[in-house]
Amino acid sequence: MDRIRPAFESGGKLKRWHPIFEMIDTFLFNTDEETIEGPHIRDSIDLKRVMIIVVVALIPALVFGVINVGYQEALAKGITRDWTSNLAAGLGSFIPIVLVSYLTGGFWEVLFSVVRRRDVDEGFLVTGLLIPLIMPPTVPLWQVAVATTFGVVIGKMIFGGTGMNIFNPALTARAFIFFAYPQSISGDQVWVNGPDGFSGATALSVPAGEISKNAVELLSRVQQFDYSWTNMFIGWIPGSIGETSKLMILIGAALLIFTKIGSWRIMVSGVIGLFVTALTTNFLAPYSTNTMLTLPPQYHLVMGGFLFGIVFMATDPVSAAFTNRGRWIYGFLIGFLTVIIRAINPAYPEGAMLAILLMNAFSPLIDYFVVQGNIKKRLARYAQ
Amino acid sequence: MTDIRIRKGHNIKISGAPKPEIITGERPAKVALVPVEFRYVKPKLLVKEGDVVQLGAPLFFDKRNPQVRWASPGGGTVSKIQFGPRRVIEKVVVALDREEETFTVPVYDQDSLSSLDRGRIIETLLKASLWPLIRQRPFNKIANPDDKPKAIFVSGLNTAPLTVDLDLALEGQERSFQAGLTVLNQLTDGAVHLTIPSKSRQPALTGAENVVLHRISGPHPAGNVGIQIHHIDPINPGDVVWTVTAQQVVILGKLFLTGRFDPTIIVSVGGPSVKNPIHVRTRMGVALETLLSDQLKEGDHRILSGDVLTGRKAGIDGYLGFYDTTVSAIPVNKQRPFLGWLRLGSKKTIYTLTRAYAAFGHERFDFTTKKNGSARALVPINAWEEVLPMDILPNPLYRSILARDVEEMEKLGILECDEEDFALCTFACPSKINLGRAIRQGLDLMEKEI
Repeated sequence: MDRIRPAFESGGKLKRWHPIFEMIDTFLFNTDEETIEGPHIRDSIDLKRVMIIVVVALIPALVFGVINVGYQEALAKGITRDWTSNLAAGLGSFIPIVLVSYLTGGFWEVLFSVVRRRDVDEGFLVTGLLIPLIMPPTVPLWQVAVATTFGVVIGKMIFGGTGMNIFNPALTARAFIFFAYPQSISGDQVWVNGPDGFSGATALSVPAGEISKNAVELLSRVQQFDYSWTNMFIGWIPGSIGETSKLMILIGAALLIFTKIGSWRIMVSGVIGLFVTALTTNFLAPYSTNTMLTLPPQYHLVMGGFLFGIVFMATDPVSAAFTNRGRWIYGFLIGFLTVIIRAINPAYPEGAMLAILLMNAFSPLIDYFVVQGNIKKRLARYAQ
Repeated sequence: MTDIRIRKGHNIKISGAPKPEIITGERPAKVALVPVEFRYVKPKLLVKEGDVVQLGAPLFFDKRNPQVRWASPGGGTVSKIQFGPRRVIEKVVVALDREEETFTVPVYDQDSLSSLDRGRIIETLLKASLWPLIRQRPFNKIANPDDKPKAIFVSGLNTAPLTVDLDLALEGQERSFQAGLTVLNQLTDGAVHLTIPSKSRQPALTGAENVVLHRISGPHPAGNVGIQIHHIDPINPGDVVWTVTAQQVVILGKLFLTGRFDPTIIVSVGGPSVKNPIHVRTRMGVALETLLSDQLKEGDHRILSGDVLTGRKAGIDGYLGFYDTTVSAIPVNKQRPFLGWLRLGSKKTIYTLTRAYAAFGHERFDFTTKKNGSARALVPINAWEEVLPMDILPNPLYRSILARDVEEMEKLGILECDEEDFALCTFACPSKINLGRAIRQGLDLMEKEI
């Protein structure tokens, strides 16, 4: 690498392609950049490592999700097979999605970097993996490509790249499919690789739209899938690839919190928000015919994409609130809105995605108030 | 006495901590002042090469405030005046005579110090050319003798990596240290705040009088005077607070008790590149060669005057800075590990799983001058806030500095901040943003406005 370096430095023939050179170079070898002034020593954390930790945290959910895709397919076809063939079958539908996501996303990243003459940044390492994990296994590949393009270009690049985006790019991609191609991902039908015309209701859509019934009871009556609490927690249910196993997501969350990469404040306050709101709706349920209101908080937690969203999406440091007090409010409101959207709007049984995107938009406002609070506190001290 | 517990922060686990033992260093052949290290000062020379100077005689003064002069840390001949680009005075080197002559000021006895007039004290300090020992906040610059500070702060503990153990360094200095504190007490209508480690056994610290004592515990930057001011008596707009380092309080005390400038200080010599890290009794402005002869391991090193977070690159032919009591040496490592980002951590390559302050156990690591990553856009994963024990929002403050919005900076409390208090934020930043330097740029902007 060092031999061909001069061609890419300023004055070299290939100067224009320096971002690509830099990407490959620092991908292969650690950078040899040195500190020029104090602090003369630096911690070994850098953006590459931050992103890699998130990828590692995604792996449990990913592996489980891929096996589950195969398992659900087998279930739908009415056959039984061991986990290795489930894994193989799952990989068969997962790998193309990942490839399409990384290739299209990577293409746009590199294109923008070269045009802007900036280093390629590492944000897409995570986004490129998040996108397949929040897609149903049945999604057409061309839709993945279009959605990834939308997520990366509109969600991130037009704002200036990693660090500047307002919305989480992966969620932007999902929202795009959600509204543009609702037949692929509407949230009330399950997606399983199975015989043509196979369909069923997602756990969340079971109680939605029903009138004056008990949500838990309805769930237990579903014959097609096992929608018991434990099974939904473990994750042998149909859904988007990475989001079904709450257990695996919690393992990832533990790693993110331990390494201080993900904000525990957002995760904890999100869950608190969900519980408080769900308990309130439970309390109000007798006065309404909306069955969704009767769903207890622990069910809200294990159903749909909330947990995946709050652990991996809401904690995206760039689109979340960036003050600690702001993070508490931001997380709480995500939990709150998730339940509200799920309960009040039966058209969107999956509220987590919309809740997070909405709070992404509001996080600068939350921060604004937190900052003003800090300023006011100081002014009050001056006045004494 | 109050107890203050600092929770946020981090003690960097760097190898080469100085042993708790003081050796007497050899007498240096040369000492020097390094005028470039004084901020917001326009130095003008009072000597030329070849002049003979006494210990304590003025070498240069500040054009902006001509009463402030700098005393020579040694008696002998001005052997070299080194200029940098645009005729900036970089170094004024004095080759020491075997017998040094000393500049003298009137002597006071211990008991009369507490009734000494403020004007007389300032006059004595200016006459002895030792006024620069007193610095002020905001801006962390040399104090203005015409100001009346609302309080004076002396930090009795160092928490920065590889710095001097003050419990050790103040041993046997009770009398001078107390004299210095008594003199400082006359300079303010407010209090002299002395902070001491919560486990201090040093009578000079625990038994200090005429001061308000505070016991401080917690990780670095708990020992930084800026952090202590923030927790004890924060700076409001228009306030001026003065600060003096503990070892320089001793120098002040000795000046009044003996009428002479005694530049003796205890310096810690440490870092991964140092063979035998230890405390050395030497003097201000000492040539670093004197301290580091036979001390460096094989290979390339960066020699710093000051600690590894805030020190100044000095080089082996450099000199100890005016306020510095630490000399650090860290290896320069040019190796580039293959696919290094894949390694979550191993003893050899990486200091921890992800970051040094989650380290298990008590191992110490050989940090190098590597940046360990490339500069990237700001991704706020809370790394700054975790190591900043102040009620300051670093992220909005950084943005206001980038926007050069002076009004917003002031609202967000920049006047309470100094570069050194944010050095750990830079250390921990995954985007490799130098927050400390940004704070300094913001302060520079503010200083210009005032």
